[in-house]
Amino acid sequence: MSRTPTVAKLIDTTTCIGCKACEVACQEWNDHEFTMSGLGGDYQTRPDLTDSFWNLIKFNEESHDGQLSWLMAKYQCMHCLDPGCVRACPAPGAIVILDNGIVDFNQDNCIGCGYCITGCPFDVPRLSPQTNKVYKCTLCSDRTVVGLEPACIKACPTNCLTFGTRNDLLEQAESRAQELQADGVTQAGVYNPSGVGGTNVIYVLAQADRPEAYGLPRDPRISWAVWFWKGPLKWLGNVVLLGGVLGTLLHYLRYGPRRYQDVRD
Amino acid sequence: MSEIEDKIDRFSFVERVTHWLAALSFLYAALTGLSLWSHRLYWLASVFGGGETVQAWHPWGGLLFSLALGYMFRNWAGQMRLDREDRRWLRQAHRYATHDDSGLPEAGRFNAGQKVLFWVQSVTTLLLLASGIILWWPHSMAQGLRLTAILVHPVMAIVSIGAIIVHIYMGTAAIPEAFRGMTQGWVRSGWAAAHHPKWFREISKR
Repeated sequence: MSRTPTVAKLIDTTTCIGCKACEVACQEWNDHEFTMSGLGGDYQTRPDLTDSFWNLIKFNEESHDGQLSWLMAKYQCMHCLDPGCVRACPAPGAIVILDNGIVDFNQDNCIGCGYCITGCPFDVPRLSPQTNKVYKCTLCSDRTVVGLEPACIKACPTNCLTFGTRNDLLEQAESRAQELQADGVTQAGVYNPSGVGGTNVIYVLAQADRPEAYGLPRDPRISWAVWFWKGPLKWLGNVVLLGGVLGTLLHYLRYGPRRYQDVRD
Repeated sequence: MSEIEDKIDRFSFVERVTHWLAALSFLYAALTGLSLWSHRLYWLASVFGGGETVQAWHPWGGLLFSLALGYMFRNWAGQMRLDREDRRWLRQAHRYATHDDSGLPEAGRFNAGQKVLFWVQSVTTLLLLASGIILWWPHSMAQGLRLTAILVHPVMAIVSIGAIIVHIYMGTAAIPEAFRGMTQGWVRSGWAAAHHPKWFREISKR
């Protein structure tokens, strides 16, 4: 058993004010240049994540009785406990699960095939056209390794973001959800989807009954196609290929070559 | 004392060039593909220049194979139709495999087994090409397409490589002199008469 506790990030969407400090901190720490994208006519910084923009607050807009409301949700790699990207990756060492649970991409070993993009149920990894490598949030593995909290968390002014051990944060998330329920936010709850073994990025949602409204999938799972591909199909393939080689060898040993004298009357 | 036999032209220069172009590109695509099939086979990638090189060139190898096979298809599809005799041959293929040829219909230029290989390769190559193109540009394809492709590509590759293992065995160890037909282009008349009697009679008439 590893003595390193699994680390996690808690996002309490009810206290997010959409200040985007986490976005800036992420860009700064990872030394990413900010490039403008077309504005979508809303407050969201850009339409989607990119290979050099790993942390995006989605300004999900809703309208109730003519009143606009935002369901703001920080969006980045979820650091799944059973990551689809890891299953799909063909290059050993390109995606590693650190002792503390962080799912980290090692670009030195990445071959740029993009299978992780297909394997990810959250649509997070992004292929860089410049380097032909895939990038995403590292949960600041280069900070946590020396005992620092991730950059986004350090920058958050409302304590909407918390860094800690997974167990502590799950408890904290539950009690915060109960607190919200007691305050009349009846649908408040925790988002830690079990289909991917749970995620080390945990959300408290005011409307946990409809995570889609926050841009989060209701029941994310590793696709059965990925499971079948890396499970039974692999065995089937190995049996066919090995069987072909051994079968032809056995045939030769048993029946030998077909000489044309054999087929003459 | 062995009797002196006639040389019979088996495969033309163009047929042989196409075949070996297909063979080499297939071998490259298959081995580089296998290197990404399983972490345990990743060492194969180093043989071909490392993972990044393999990722960049595997699709081109596959494309070259598809083109070679497309040309083969154009040349041979007409000769590969499976007729009633061929169907009867296939039902008794186990006899052929055990060298008991009594009652087996006589083969023309291609026997029914060769014809089946041709159609298997045609279908798998078409599907490998289509799914391969999807996998080539993962970032510009819909998730549903990509998930289909990651299943279709390996399934077709397994069928195709499985068939080719048998094909290589038949063309080398299992049927002596067949290999020369595809390299130097000729076979002995006795060989032709024995393995492809219907074809031999046809060309003898000319």
